Amino acid sequence: MIKKICLASIIAFSSASFADVAVIVHPSNDSALDAKSVARIFTGKMKSFPNGNQIIPVNLAAGNDVTKEFNSKALNRSESQLKAYWSKLVFTGKGTPPQEVPNADEAIKLVASNPNTISFVDASKVSGDVKVVLKL
Amino acid sequence: MKKLKLAVTTLLLCSPLVSADVNFTGFASITAGKVLSGDGVPQYDVPPTFLADYPIVSAYGEEWSFRQESLFGLQVQADLADKLTATAQVVARGADDFDASLEWAFLSYELNPNWTLQVGKKRLPLFYYSDFYDVGFAYTWIRPPADTYTWQVFNYNGVNLLYQGTLNDWSLAANFYTGSEKSENNRLLSQFFFLEPTTEEWKDILGAVLNLSNEWLEIRGTAMTYTNERTRSGVPTTWGGKTERDGTFLGLALNMTFGQAFVLTELNQLELDDDGQLDSLMVSVGYNFDGFTPFLAYSELDQTGNFLDGSVIADGEDHNTTSVGFRYDFHPSAAFKLQYDDVKDNSFDYAVAGDSKSLSASIDLVF
Repeated sequence: MIKKICLASIIAFSSASFADVAVIVHPSNDSALDAKSVARIFTGKMKSFPNGNQIIPVNLAAGNDVTKEFNSKALNRSESQLKAYWSKLVFTGKGTPPQEVPNADEAIKLVASNPNTISFVDASKVSGDVKVVLKL
Repeated sequence: MKKLKLAVTTLLLCSPLVSADVNFTGFASITAGKVLSGDGVPQYDVPPTFLADYPIVSAYGEEWSFRQESLFGLQVQADLADKLTATAQVVARGADDFDASLEWAFLSYELNPNWTLQVGKKRLPLFYYSDFYDVGFAYTWIRPPADTYTWQVFNYNGVNLLYQGTLNDWSLAANFYTGSEKSENNRLLSQFFFLEPTTEEWKDILGAVLNLSNEWLEIRGTAMTYTNERTRSGVPTTWGGKTERDGTFLGLALNMTFGQAFVLTELNQLELDDDGQLDSLMVSVGYNFDGFTPFLAYSELDQTGNFLDGSVIADGEDHNTTSVGFRYDFHPSAAFKLQYDDVKDNSFDYAVAGDSKSLSASIDLVF
């Protein structure tokens, strides 16, 4: 019983201490994306939206708490594991990691102006200029 | 070196003209190792040795050495025009006195979101870790298990067609490649096996790699055929009276992740005229405790079959390695690794470096 309470409080505490991450696209993008597709997009395995448009993924800066949260929730990797993954692709000429922007404002600005882009921000920072396709 | 200068000059000259977006990235490993105890191969005058890496002959002795596997690599990628990129990789190895050499130089053209055509000099994608073998940061051990990676030619000049797509719930990647490589003064053959200048040529290389992956499972299958020619001190080697022989390589790798635990496996077979059949395998398990990753690995190579005259290869190459170690990610772009290797060399005629127990440590980084 005590175990259960502890577990419950840990779960409650951990979900309370981390903000939700919102995956955002241009308002005109009508693609339905699940967690699997998002993981594929941000690991370079999916390069076009279901509607055929080319995808340009945009990362928040590495080291950012929201980035860490996204890496762990969506990609199931630590920053270091993700870097190892991209090293393998970069140094074999098979892929390049997504471009980075320094903060949520920049990510929102970029996504609001380019229908090909997809990014992620702290859910509380989402503005009406972008559309949330998935919450993690 | 001349080629390198030319490539760099060309890049420098070209980039402002076509307003190329030039990216520099790189990797480095500082690796030290020593044999704790070893038998060597008395019948071939080989002292106690740990051959950690066959292709570049990283042979550790009983004194600590930083030279054998340390390396520094710089990659330049220039986006030349719409969907066309040029990539060059320069690697300086301790084993070469850190003389920089151009190991890769290729043009990449994206035909469409799924297909990319690459032309130039690239690493031969024979084994699972072959084409990023130099990038220690990308894998768990200090180096991919040596028994499995006993290749003498590791680059090729040619054409590579890359595919990346999805198949239901799976990601599907493939490459199809063809080309050739002439390795003059081949390191493994010249410095370790024959002790005389040996030129190794792999012609008519034709290969394919298929890679299927989902969230926890990755399956990689590969096949390659080639024709081998060799000269030792200028004299062509003959096999069954002919100056060329054919080889067929088959490989299967299965990698699994279960949360923070992983299992990595590789199974390879090379059929080579007059060398019978070389079977190799590798199994490794590990667990990532939030950046601290202990691992265990076992690899072996066993040569069987017949010579071209029909006689049985009774005492072919036969060695295995048991390794234990850890990787510690002390920085997002740098890892420290420590590894203990126990090598058993069971052949007399085809003995490579004898039994050995050794210790090695490395710092691997990317930038």
